[in-house]
Amino acid sequence: MSVTPLRIFMTGVGGQGTLTATTLLAKAALLRGLPVTSGEIHGMAQRGGVVESTLLIGLKSPKIGPGEADVLMGFEPLETLRALIYLKPGGAVFSSTESTPPLSVSTGQATCPGLVDVEGRVAEVAGITGWYPCQSLGLQAGAAQAGNIALLGAVAASGVLPFGPDAVAEAITANMKPKIAAINLKALELGVEAAKA
Amino acid sequence: MSNPLIAGKAGETHLLLGNEAIVRGAVEAGVQFVSCYPGTPSSEVPDTFFRLSPEADYYFEYSTNEKVALEASAGAALGGARALCTMKHVGVNVAADPLMTLSYTGVPGALVLLSADDPGCHSSQNEQDNRYFARLGGLPVFEPASAQECKDMTRTAMALSDELDGPVLLRTTTRVNHLRGPVTLADAEKAPAPAGFQKDPSKYVPIPAFARPMHLRLLERMQRAMELAETSEYNTVTGSGTVGVVASGISRAYLSDALTLSGLGDKVKVLELGFTYPLPEQLVLSFMKGLTKVLVVEELEPLLENDLRVLVQTTGLDIEIFGKNTLPRYGEFTVGMVEDALRSVLGEAPAVRPVNPPEEGLPMRPPNLCAGCPHRASYLTTRKVFGDEAIYSSDIGCYTLGILPPLKSADLLVCMGSSISAGSGLSKATGQTVVAFLGDSTFFHSGMTGLANAVYNQHDILVVILDNKTTAMTGHQPHPGVEKSIMGDNESRVIIEDVVRGLGVTEIRKVNPLNQKKFTAAVEELKAKSGVRVLIAEEPCPLFARRAYGKKPQVTAYVTPEYDMSEGVMERVACPAFYQDDDCRLAVNELLCAGCMLCVQQSDNIKSKKKGDK
Ligand SMILES: Cc1ncc(C[n+]2csc(CCOP(=O)(O)OP(=O)(O)O)c2C)c(N)n1
Ligand code: SF4
Ligand code: SF4
Repeated sequence: MSVTPLRIFMTGVGGQGTLTATTLLAKAALLRGLPVTSGEIHGMAQRGGVVESTLLIGLKSPKIGPGEADVLMGFEPLETLRALIYLKPGGAVFSSTESTPPLSVSTGQATCPGLVDVEGRVAEVAGITGWYPCQSLGLQAGAAQAGNIALLGAVAASGVLPFGPDAVAEAITANMKPKIAAINLKALELGVEAAKA
Repeated sequence: MSNPLIAGKAGETHLLLGNEAIVRGAVEAGVQFVSCYPGTPSSEVPDTFFRLSPEADYYFEYSTNEKVALEASAGAALGGARALCTMKHVGVNVAADPLMTLSYTGVPGALVLLSADDPGCHSSQNEQDNRYFARLGGLPVFEPASAQECKDMTRTAMALSDELDGPVLLRTTTRVNHLRGPVTLADAEKAPAPAGFQKDPSKYVPIPAFARPMHLRLLERMQRAMELAETSEYNTVTGSGTVGVVASGISRAYLSDALTLSGLGDKVKVLELGFTYPLPEQLVLSFMKGLTKVLVVEELEPLLENDLRVLVQTTGLDIEIFGKNTLPRYGEFTVGMVEDALRSVLGEAPAVRPVNPPEEGLPMRPPNLCAGCPHRASYLTTRKVFGDEAIYSSDIGCYTLGILPPLKSADLLVCMGSSISAGSGLSKATGQTVVAFLGDSTFFHSGMTGLANAVYNQHDILVVILDNKTTAMTGHQPHPGVEKSIMGDNESRVIIEDVVRGLGVTEIRKVNPLNQKKFTAAVEELKAKSGVRVLIAEEPCPLFARRAYGKKPQVTAYVTPEYDMSEGVMERVACPAFYQDDDCRLAVNELLCAGCMLCVQQSDNIKSKKKGDK
């Protein structure tokens, strides 16, 4: 099957559910019959380190090198900024605006760029950008962890993927227990609405 | 609900992790015996086998270390069973002794060894290339590049081992273990019950007289393996031209994407190797006919490259070979790197690939001991008593994260189990004070032998066994000493204290490190003594305790207005639940606080309350 190749780089903080979001997106792509590969680097995930993952459509390599990602999804703004090197200049960036500062920052030993700076840097290199208060959207849906799914909703609604939010919704329904699925479906919807707003 | 990895039917397609696909491949091959020692990036293979064991027919065990795991699988395969043994790359070092002779004796059943290599050292102390072991020992090798191949090659490797009566290596790399892709299932085979061991010392007891003919049989087996590699479905030739590319393992994915994205696909002839060793020489020679240049794309060591150079030299071909002169011998490749190597061999300029400059000066986010981790308490106290002068001989586990300031309690580390033995040698040679730290799983893995050695050779060392009741680092697997696993109680516990006593240690203390007063007293007492002393710091990992013991934190710490920042608890304890509030004062994030009460014991002005209370 010939599809336009697409490379998505995702980044977040351990414990945020970055990998759950990646797998859901991959399942959504598979539901639409797309040739999909995803990759993840764990190991340190539980200990508050950075978690990076990839999703590729029409390609086989689970790794994305510097300048190779068409889309960058950041579940935490500092990590979005750190991962900017993977974005193809002019590519699309979708990110949470709500930060989880590293310990050195939260204990006042280091500083971290503020959201305005982060957004400014991203705007210099990205063609498309979307910023969403993901954790808040997740909380509104019923659980902070569902914030990732809100970001998936926003990305799927933006038209940069070869499928829409309906495919993600199907993947949620097919793979989660009804109660958790309900929360995530709500989060997805909130993300879609935020993207349209 | 039955799991598709066990109950799935032929033709179904599922999105699987590479490691899950390996499980399914083994199930399809009728695996009967699975042993392992966990280690990233291999761990989801044994963990999945473990989780699914109640609904499956195979026997599964977490063994105490990789040597034991391989010997257990070897015994099963010697009795005619189909066995799979899994480990990370450095585990094969531990298992190397049985491995090198197992290929001599062979196995009447089947035995596949999974070696999960880690180019790029994502979660390892080195990036050794275990394809060398296959050459050293004489094992055929399969190297998958997709989830589908993880399944298919596991199955084929088992069938090949069955056919050749020798062990087969399934070699993956981190990216392969941790990729996800669609996998179409085939039906699972039902293997006949193991035939039982048939006595024949000339085949199974490698005394010198028998070992010599065994070696000849091994060489014959490798010859047969080479013939099978010649026609393997995993070794394919595509494209045409005078420039060739040979790629193996995950490099095939990088190459495929480079060709798709660069449009160079019609300029090169490609040989993909999935059954990579022994090298199918006839296939390679026929591939090289008419070529003037060949680029070999393989991560880490130039093994295929050197094999090709030998082949070109012995057959007098006039072909220029490119490999490690165009691509690095360390770390992982990227699609862009492979594309540029290809361009340079084709005589083209590298692609212009604009890249955003890296963001400088961003605060790092290193992995850290979790809030409430008992290791933090052990380190804090030991350091307080021993200070900067003592040498902290560390080992491998979550507790290695104690390397970070402010705990700084890892000064040297070689490999699993080295804390006691390397620490003993160091103290003997230099007279320096040495404190060794190792985890409970590491103690059973390879700490016990070092401890026996320390007792026997009268070394001077304080050994702190950080007994958090689980193998935390690699995903909370059980080991002989645990009380519980996710499957329930451990009914045949091996008690660490009894082992330590049995090994001849007389100075033993067992204390919960979260009880700072008692723990400090124990450390001070043992500091005042000499010889081999063991302190068992016993307290479950809170993450594991939540899952296996159903233990949820009931209390949280809070900082009272009387707390003075100069008390320095924030800097000394550095718990991830700490933060600085808007007034630049220490505060505790109640959501993150695990209620371990370590900080509460450092200052009268930090107190505890029930979670949720104002
Ligand atoms: C030879 C070898 N096998 C496996 C590993 C992977 N590994 C790293 S840490 C670890 C377990 C450590 O468990 P434990 O000693 O109980 O410490 P914890 O993580 O629980 O603190 C393992 C298996 C390794 N590094 N080397
Ligand atoms: S997982 Fe457990 S042992 Fe490892 S750092 Fe966290 S609390 Fe400590
Ligand atoms: S009690 Fe103190 S040290 Fe323990 S987890 Fe809570 S904040 Fe951290």
